[in-house]
Amino acid sequence: MINTEMIHLILIDGSLAAIAAIGFAVISNPSRKAIAVSALLAAIGHGLRFALIHYAMLDISMATFVAASCIGLLSILFARIIHCPAEVFSFPSLLPMIPGLFAYRTILGLIKFMRTADVIKSQGFMLDFVHNGLTTLFILFALVVGVSLPVLFFPKTSFSVTRKY
Amino acid sequence: MINQTNQKEPNIQEIADLLTDIAAELMTSGAHTMRIIQNISRMAATFGYFIELSVFQQSIMMTITNKEDQLNRLTLIKKTKPLLLNFTIVSDLSSLSWDTFDKNLTFEEIINRFHDIVVQKRMSRWLVLLLVSCANASFCALFKGDIYGVGLVFLATLAGFFTRQEMIKKHINHLIVFSTSAFVASLLAGLGYVFHWGITPEIALASSVLFLIPGVPLINSILDIIEGHVLTGIARLVNASSLIVCIALGLFVSMLILGLEKL
Repeated sequence: MINTEMIHLILIDGSLAAIAAIGFAVISNPSRKAIAVSALLAAIGHGLRFALIHYAMLDISMATFVAASCIGLLSILFARIIHCPAEVFSFPSLLPMIPGLFAYRTILGLIKFMRTADVIKSQGFMLDFVHNGLTTLFILFALVVGVSLPVLFFPKTSFSVTRKY
Repeated sequence: MINQTNQKEPNIQEIADLLTDIAAELMTSGAHTMRIIQNISRMAATFGYFIELSVFQQSIMMTITNKEDQLNRLTLIKKTKPLLLNFTIVSDLSSLSWDTFDKNLTFEEIINRFHDIVVQKRMSRWLVLLLVSCANASFCALFKGDIYGVGLVFLATLAGFFTRQEMIKKHINHLIVFSTSAFVASLLAGLGYVFHWGITPEIALASSVLFLIPGVPLINSILDIIEGHVLTGIARLVNASSLIVCIALGLFVSMLILGLEKL
């Protein structure tokens, strides 16, 4: 089932996500080490999500949840290694998975709905609006709940990573 | 120990001022509520005080009480500055709070280190501009945009993010900053539609404004809500959503100008 083409696609997806994570990370000005880790985590997370959607036939919010919890677990591990709070690099590595395109389509659907007088058409636009809006909301919750599961399970560890003794 | 006896003991006002300053700085730099409370309580415990802290979007309210003498207490409200994400500060202040706890730093040392942390220089704005443009271009590629789309998004982001940097420098209202940057970016990316460059101009148009999506505030808001700080979480969510509406507004105006509103 695993073939070279599939690995190739996952690798491309992961490296694009890494570039995106670096760019969105620098807006929040983390340290260089944290940028490198967030690029790595973003590649792993986004690649995993891509694989789950296309080869395990999971829907996008479920796949996001799995990928985000994977990032959450790994980030606690890296946080202990480089002595830096986990969210400093786990947040930027989630950013490539933020449902920006769905949010955009939600607002677009709303605008189209407002501008149409045709009842049949406007029903379609309302459907678009609700569908995209719900997807946006569910992906967001999946991202955050997934990434903070480890924090909720190991609260002591996650708040003491910057302790050096 | 000799050091500490020579030092005069800081009084409750000085400690309260320092702690509210640190809390306000953490809030401005984009830490979530739970971390702010943890850090500040830890530092207060070192001085022999305990605190109750309420964090809101615009202000921070803190009551600090002496552990031995419960009547010795003080309540302060401190206004916070507008959000300017800076994770280096979050990380360093978190380290500082642990160092205070473990090494018993003196009050002077803490103040000095706090000032050093706050005045650190940010990454060069031109490098940030370049990296954000690359990031948004690779975002377009992630959504299966073709090579024309990727190039167009790179240029659009360059222009849009530059607009944002310049407007932020002039302290213009951030809602206006977001709509104007979205307008500039989508106007450039929309040219792909007008001149029929490539086969996926709609993906280029949609992803050209994604660099503006306030990702960290969105994540922080949901995190606050699931950790029980519902009010702060909702305030952050409303803020982030109004920014998204502004982005959509800018996008819509440029679509009207380019005659793409029938999409």
